[in-house]
Amino acid sequence: MSQEAAPHHRRRAAALGLGLLALSLALLAIIVLSMTTGARAIPLDTVWRALIAADPTATEHRIIWDLRLPRTLVGVMVGLALGLAGAVLQGATRNPLADPAILGIHSGAALFVVLGVAVLGLTQLSQYVWLAFAGAGAAMLVVYSVASLGREGATPIKLALAGAAITAVLQSIISAILLTSPRTLDEVRFWQVGSLAGRSMDIALQVCPFIAAGIVLALSVARLLDGLSMGEDVARALGQRVGLSRALAGLAAVILAGAATAAAGPIAFVGLTVPHVARAITGPSYRWILPYSMLMAPILLLGADIIGRVIAPPGEVQVGIVTAFLGAPFFIALVRRRKLAAL
Amino acid sequence: MLSRRLTALLALSGLALAAPVAAEPWIYSDGAGQTVALDEVPQRIIASQDAAAGLIPLGIRPVGIYADGPIADAKALQGLDLSGIEIIGQAWGEVDIEKAAALEPDLVIAEYWPLDKAWSGGEKVEVALSYLAPITGVTQGASILTLIEDYEALAQSLGADLSAPQIAADKAEFSAALDAFKAAAAAKPDLTVLAVWAGADALYVAATAGSAELVDFKSWGLKLIDPEIADDRGYWETLSWENADKYQPDLIIVDNRSPTTIETARSQPTWTLMKAAAAGQVADWPAFWLRNYRHYALALNDLTTAIKAADAGLAP
Amino acid sequence: MTLAVEIETVSGVRLRQFRRRRAVLVGLAVALLVAFALALNLGDYPVPPGDVLRSLLSPLTGAVNKGVDFIVLQVRLPRAILAILSGAAFGLAGIIFQTLLRNPLASPDIIGIAHGASAAAVFCIIILGWSGLSVSLGALAGAVLTAIAIYLLAWRNGVTAYRVVLIGIGAAAMLGAVISYLFTRARLNEVQQALAWLVGSLNAARPGDAIVLAVALLILLPLLFGLVRALEALELGDDTATALGARVELTRLGLMLVAVSFAAFATAAVGPVGFVAFVSGPIARRLLDGAGRGFAQAALVGSLVMLVSDLVAQHALPSVQLPVGVVTGAFGALFLLWLLIASGRSGRVN
Repeated sequence: MSQEAAPHHRRRAAALGLGLLALSLALLAIIVLSMTTGARAIPLDTVWRALIAADPTATEHRIIWDLRLPRTLVGVMVGLALGLAGAVLQGATRNPLADPAILGIHSGAALFVVLGVAVLGLTQLSQYVWLAFAGAGAAMLVVYSVASLGREGATPIKLALAGAAITAVLQSIISAILLTSPRTLDEVRFWQVGSLAGRSMDIALQVCPFIAAGIVLALSVARLLDGLSMGEDVARALGQRVGLSRALAGLAAVILAGAATAAAGPIAFVGLTVPHVARAITGPSYRWILPYSMLMAPILLLGADIIGRVIAPPGEVQVGIVTAFLGAPFFIALVRRRKLAAL
Repeated sequence: MLSRRLTALLALSGLALAAPVAAEPWIYSDGAGQTVALDEVPQRIIASQDAAAGLIPLGIRPVGIYADGPIADAKALQGLDLSGIEIIGQAWGEVDIEKAAALEPDLVIAEYWPLDKAWSGGEKVEVALSYLAPITGVTQGASILTLIEDYEALAQSLGADLSAPQIAADKAEFSAALDAFKAAAAAKPDLTVLAVWAGADALYVAATAGSAELVDFKSWGLKLIDPEIADDRGYWETLSWENADKYQPDLIIVDNRSPTTIETARSQPTWTLMKAAAAGQVADWPAFWLRNYRHYALALNDLTTAIKAADAGLAP
Repeated sequence: MTLAVEIETVSGVRLRQFRRRRAVLVGLAVALLVAFALALNLGDYPVPPGDVLRSLLSPLTGAVNKGVDFIVLQVRLPRAILAILSGAAFGLAGIIFQTLLRNPLASPDIIGIAHGASAAAVFCIIILGWSGLSVSLGALAGAVLTAIAIYLLAWRNGVTAYRVVLIGIGAAAMLGAVISYLFTRARLNEVQQALAWLVGSLNAARPGDAIVLAVALLILLPLLFGLVRALEALELGDDTATALGARVELTRLGLMLVAVSFAAFATAAVGPVGFVAFVSGPIARRLLDGAGRGFAQAALVGSLVMLVSDLVAQHALPSVQLPVGVVTGAFGALFLLWLLIASGRSGRVN
């Protein structure tokens, strides 16, 4: 990286900075929308009054504080975590398909949650969090080791297939448990779909420190990711410790994706698609990709959640379904567009 | 239903008229419109978990039971003596056909669900077991009490002695519980009751007509609130947790098939938007699983206590 | 062994490979026969081996004992035959895909086709309220439609293995979301019914199921033989094969359709039993150790895996009969682990 900043570099940086500002405003707007959209019609001024002068006896104020605010907060945190995790994973593995869902994190978390419900008799979302976290980490480790087999290392296609294969294994174990325990099935089916509904402030508080730590770690490895993106040899020549960089980035991704899955259940495609859009805007530098992903992902997630809330009254379509239907076509377009092997 | 009971009566009167020693033909017509005729009264019976819950307290012990899930979780079989009975299925749609065949059943007794046009356990179980013995059973209808009476008729046709002391005691206990329930309901004519199932995604409000015991409660004087729209095949109205206060009952009864339902409800912040929930006026709803007098008496006693304790002036 | 002198010549190598193929084939067939005999003899209903034999012959000699005949001819025999046929179909589907896409992980149960069948079946069960045969037909349609969709989406001046696999995985994720959604929209017993179908089971196998599958296999196998020769050209690699022009693409498409049909008919008969398609090819190839393509061997491995898994599923736990899919899933886990260890040593995947 050359030290002198050419004028057009500076101009570009200014433009990207403005872009970040615009995204922040868009995020704010979607947060407002999320606070005002729901099964119950609550006028904007009531929402505002509830926020500045809460009256715990007023039903609508309670709905704002107890349902919509935690839901929105969890949505922002989960979105942010997923977007950042996806970007970091893609950078660290130089793999355009690296995504928490594709890498088996979801089914790992799901297996641990199912075991928790079936064996330990857990019943509350807030109890699932730790298990989901542990399961996510374990699954990602296994998937990555399976994919790294062989000389070429973890190529995109091997990573994706290893993830799919491990997912299939875990899924059949999950099915076996659910089949013999209807009680567990009844509990878990609402978690397994990936949803922001019914998330309380407790859950937001539980995962908050992890996501904060994950953000700090992820942003601090941005420079290392830029080094890796020039190729291992170049990175090494620049004095970078490649193995350590990868490990740090992987740790950040597991913390973020694990926390997101713990809070909202498995939500697919957000972590996969957002970094690609971000990269298309910012160019290849992770110093820009990471903050862009971090702001765009919660916009996508909350947007999907709002769509899910209004699309099928009187029930709701869970956010995990909406993101799958928005994300899968995007993914397919991505696969069709170009050779993905190079990142 | 009437015709079925008539048939059973005919079968009974046939028994009474004929010579007592000789093997008698056994005839029973089920809700699916099929009549099962056997050369003699069946002795070896395989029963679904619900049928077993109806028959065992009446002294008819099946040789095998198949359940929808782990037998320990089967609410309907709670407290029943299952010793010596082979469990041939513990997952929905699964029976061990070889174990079933080894039991050499004369008859399979299940329950017929007219809305689904299916026998308990589903088509796969029905097909598998129908190779071994004919399937019959009572029909799910609009009243648990009628259902239990149907089981009495069926049990009697199978040779049960309904005047046995334990059976009579159970029945007497139920009558007492029913009288107390009716009295409590009559004492609080304004008390409104809402039956619900709580999920993490939404609150489900039960339609009275979708559940036989709710129909019973209503006919015994309990003032149940019926949802405006029952969207899920007439069973439930789905309420977003944001609209949990759409109905304001004085007493909430919560589906107790799974012990976690009430916990899920309590963990929802807007559960207490219902004044009854905030005031703790919540009781168990023995949803869909009552099959005998003893269980019904216990459930009614619990409800009577809850009705007596409830403040009927909560709801506007 | 007069030919032993030629051991280093080409024909010697060919002979050795032929012997190896034959040895593997015979070994697998014997193992399958043993498993088949076990399947007919084991069970909660006690039947002495002599009676099993007499029962098997009873269509010719007349009924022996109604109870025993029922157990042997109506329960155990159809179940074992269905296991063998569906296992072979899954094994062939798997090895065709793995050969075409040149990746040991690219079997139909991983790249979305099983998910298409599953989503269709769950839709039929939960939304349409169907059961039995109509669900199987729905699953069949779902598998074929998904395969066609994946193929068309992957088409861009031809189809590359890379795009098929990745688009298949994308489709699998989306279809998985559909299933999860349907699961939250149904009553618990419908979800249980759907889940039981999803795991895949041979319980309550009926003679009719086996006959339908046998007819399908009889039609598909000659097609496979016809197309397999063209595959030789394909295996030389994309670049050389393009010289052969459009016929190559057509052969590839034909083979994929045959593979999808194998998978679809087997899935319709027993449900999307996982990992049989996935493990059969690699196991056959390891046994052959380079001595041939291994289609026939993979079919036998598939049958063996299915039959043995079903025996384990029936008899492993005294109180519960597990569906066969649970055991094959566990077997798949072990296989992946073994792949991990074995290739960690040799430095290659397959």
